[in-house]
Amino acid sequence: MLLQAENLSVTAMLGGRPMPVLRDLSFSLAAGKVLGLVGESGAGKSMIGRAIAQDLPMGFRVAGGNLRYRGTELVGVAAQLRLRMLGRDIAFIPQEPMAALNPVLTVWQQMDEHLRRLGERNATLRRKRACDLLEQMGLAEPDSVLARYAHQLSGGMCQRVLIAMAFAGEPRLVIADEPTTALDVTVQARIIGLIGELQARSGTGVLFITHDLRLAAQICDDIMVLYAGRPAEIGEARRLFRAPSHPYTASLHLAAPGMTGPRQALLALPHQMPGLQQIATLPGCRFALRCPVALPECSGREPPPPDRIQTASCWYPERATLIDTGAAIPVPTAADDAAEILRTIGLRKVFRQPGRLFGRGHETVAVAGADIVIRTGEFVGLVGESGSGKSTVARLVAGLEQAESGRILLQGQSDVPRSERRSLVQMVFQDPQSALNPRHQVADIITQAMLVGRPAPRQARMSRALELLRQVGLPPDVAGRTPQQLSGGQRQRVNIARALCIVPKLLVADEIVSGLDVSVQAQLLDLLLELRERLGFAMLFISHDLAVVRYLCARVMVMHRGVIVEEGVTRDMFEAPKHDYTRLLLQSVPEAEVQPSE
Amino acid sequence: MNFRWLRSGRVVCGAALVLVVALSAMLAPLLAPHDPGEQDLLSILLPPAWMANGDPSFPLGTDSLGRCVLSRLLFGARTALAVAFLSALGAGVLGTILAHAAGYVGGCTDWLIGRAVDIWMSFPPVVLALILMVGLGTGTDKVILAIILVDWTRFCRVLRSEVMTVSRRDYVSAARLIGYSHWQTVTREVLPATLPLIITLVSLEMGIAVVVEAILSFVGLGVGANQPAWGQMIADARQNVASSPSGLLLPMLAIFLCVAGFNLLGDGLRRTLDVRQTAIRGA
Repeated sequence: MLLQAENLSVTAMLGGRPMPVLRDLSFSLAAGKVLGLVGESGAGKSMIGRAIAQDLPMGFRVAGGNLRYRGTELVGVAAQLRLRMLGRDIAFIPQEPMAALNPVLTVWQQMDEHLRRLGERNATLRRKRACDLLEQMGLAEPDSVLARYAHQLSGGMCQRVLIAMAFAGEPRLVIADEPTTALDVTVQARIIGLIGELQARSGTGVLFITHDLRLAAQICDDIMVLYAGRPAEIGEARRLFRAPSHPYTASLHLAAPGMTGPRQALLALPHQMPGLQQIATLPGCRFALRCPVALPECSGREPPPPDRIQTASCWYPERATLIDTGAAIPVPTAADDAAEILRTIGLRKVFRQPGRLFGRGHETVAVAGADIVIRTGEFVGLVGESGSGKSTVARLVAGLEQAESGRILLQGQSDVPRSERRSLVQMVFQDPQSALNPRHQVADIITQAMLVGRPAPRQARMSRALELLRQVGLPPDVAGRTPQQLSGGQRQRVNIARALCIVPKLLVADEIVSGLDVSVQAQLLDLLLELRERLGFAMLFISHDLAVVRYLCARVMVMHRGVIVEEGVTRDMFEAPKHDYTRLLLQSVPEAEVQPSE
Repeated sequence: MNFRWLRSGRVVCGAALVLVVALSAMLAPLLAPHDPGEQDLLSILLPPAWMANGDPSFPLGTDSLGRCVLSRLLFGARTALAVAFLSALGAGVLGTILAHAAGYVGGCTDWLIGRAVDIWMSFPPVVLALILMVGLGTGTDKVILAIILVDWTRFCRVLRSEVMTVSRRDYVSAARLIGYSHWQTVTREVLPATLPLIITLVSLEMGIAVVVEAILSFVGLGVGANQPAWGQMIADARQNVASSPSGLLLPMLAIFLCVAGFNLLGDGLRRTLDVRQTAIRGA
């Protein structure tokens, strides 16, 4: 066995007491196989990679169990032996490719050092080898890539350099920790393909850590699903994806919107994954609190960890098939005669970088003539890769940037004064961390709008705050907390509540679910649909995730390099794309398998 | 509001030192055995009372004009602290306003204020203060004004970058979208984030102001000649340093303790008030 874990457990010191972070972890990875570790944030999946590298954060330590690499115990291995193994026998592909390369060294300097460490003494041969490796990665001009610094490369190119370095030492084991999360879908598809190709050619074993069950099902042989630091289910990838035997695996599957078939209602699990403190006091099954098919006795005793016979850590695995997502509802569309809320005509935005003393500045055309129409109560998706200009469109429509040329008509009027504009358009920002002032209480943040002009009395603001919190599905006690005391999903709800305070006609939402776990994402998507029903606002929904757009939006626009290349009814466009770029985008979405019924 | 900052050793030490100096300044008329200007020409250059030839009625001895050193130190603390508080506050207010204008508005405003700071900072600060004092004349109010005019740049430069970072946050954009005026945005969204830094800088500036005041008084361009000041005491004691070193060492010790107090306080506040620093330590 290449890599084998037996009852591995990791603890963290928290408030002077050791808290279990990982427990009962047993898995084995054979040479030439790909094992997927799937879980939401906080499940402890990255800790496994770090435990293998013996690089646990301060206060974390392996408390028990074995972790063997080809029979060698890795826990407490001598530093020298570890140093000899890492980078050679065991290689890593990191999550943030840009941050993993040294910004002050060229790619060549870094690859050179790495190859020298691997034992290649001849500089000419090292150069040749580096070029070969990069060529294998599909980088056409290796010499020019080698001469550059990390910031001069795109995220995808950085990741390819890192993969080249990881496979340079012909490792037996590669640990890929969310290698494509920071990349665009089209790039993700290529990177995944590359890893698969190299893995198959050299018979390397890959430990693939990801939050995306569908992606894992596509490329892994076996999958282990983690929940709150404990394996929930382990099994052969396709079987696990098609017929999950743990309710959590089934929920993960049902919470993510699909790209094929009829639009299905999403399963939104209540609450969120228990934190470390909570786990320590949880007597029974860790998933019982959120499990849609839990029985009362589930929270009384903890099910045994999964093994070969019983692949799910669940008392009643047969109940996993009972999960019901409810009836499918059609995508909400706007009435044909609905009034136009937004129309942009030839919207154009150019960013100029001032030149140095003797150099010329350069211009970047972020948006080159966008025409957008949104009607009352309509959700319109805007999809594209990073750098396609979709966020700039959002900021232009919201009024945070001034357009170079072109016009924005709100309810048929151009140049709406600021005081009126705020009740027409509001924006929900991408990063709730940055969008909420950490120094204010939630109640004050969401009723900010009532402080404009003559401030409303405290009483009125408080009652409005409670009403808004109820609308976005947050308990009233959140009102007195600060954003730091909330989870990511809760913060995004506060973010939405603030935008809804003055009941705008149009909501501009810039990637508002992209940083969230699938179960939380499902909650928010349904919340948006429910709020639309109640308040009747339209939305410009910007996202890179086509499946989410398919679930939420009746109409969609595809943006590529500042230009809207295709536009139409979501369903039709996704089934029969006309533009080449749309086709490429659609092909890149990981689809584990085509259901045999279709 | 929590009182986390009280648990920091630096803050407690610094605050204690500042408190001692402040109390002696406030209670100077009660504590001082003599009038600070009263001359006793029969008992000049007396050593402190515990040394040979010491006189118990002059606990820390006398200077070359027979004035009580302890009384002058106590009254000198009044001068030092008045200058420290008022000039640090003044420089803080001026620097903060300009920094927020530069960092929040950006563009031309930022360029103008930035260049003004550049030019201002290229003068050696003490020389600039001296030139100002020559123009303004002596007196406590003039010293305060000179320090404000010299040291606002310190606040402006450090705060500007902080304001810029905060202004780029989405919550500032959100406040604008919700309809906040620029004034509301700056006071409600930006200022709360920069306030800890302002408090810290004011505290550090007080220490600097004590030193600058002492330098100006030392060269005779500080407070009026008849007002006791530590810098002046050092200047006066210079001629007799061989026969009576205590006259020189005691005001120096006073300056040291006072400045150390302000610096410790400032450093401690920086560590405890800064959200990012506490976040790193996981508190």
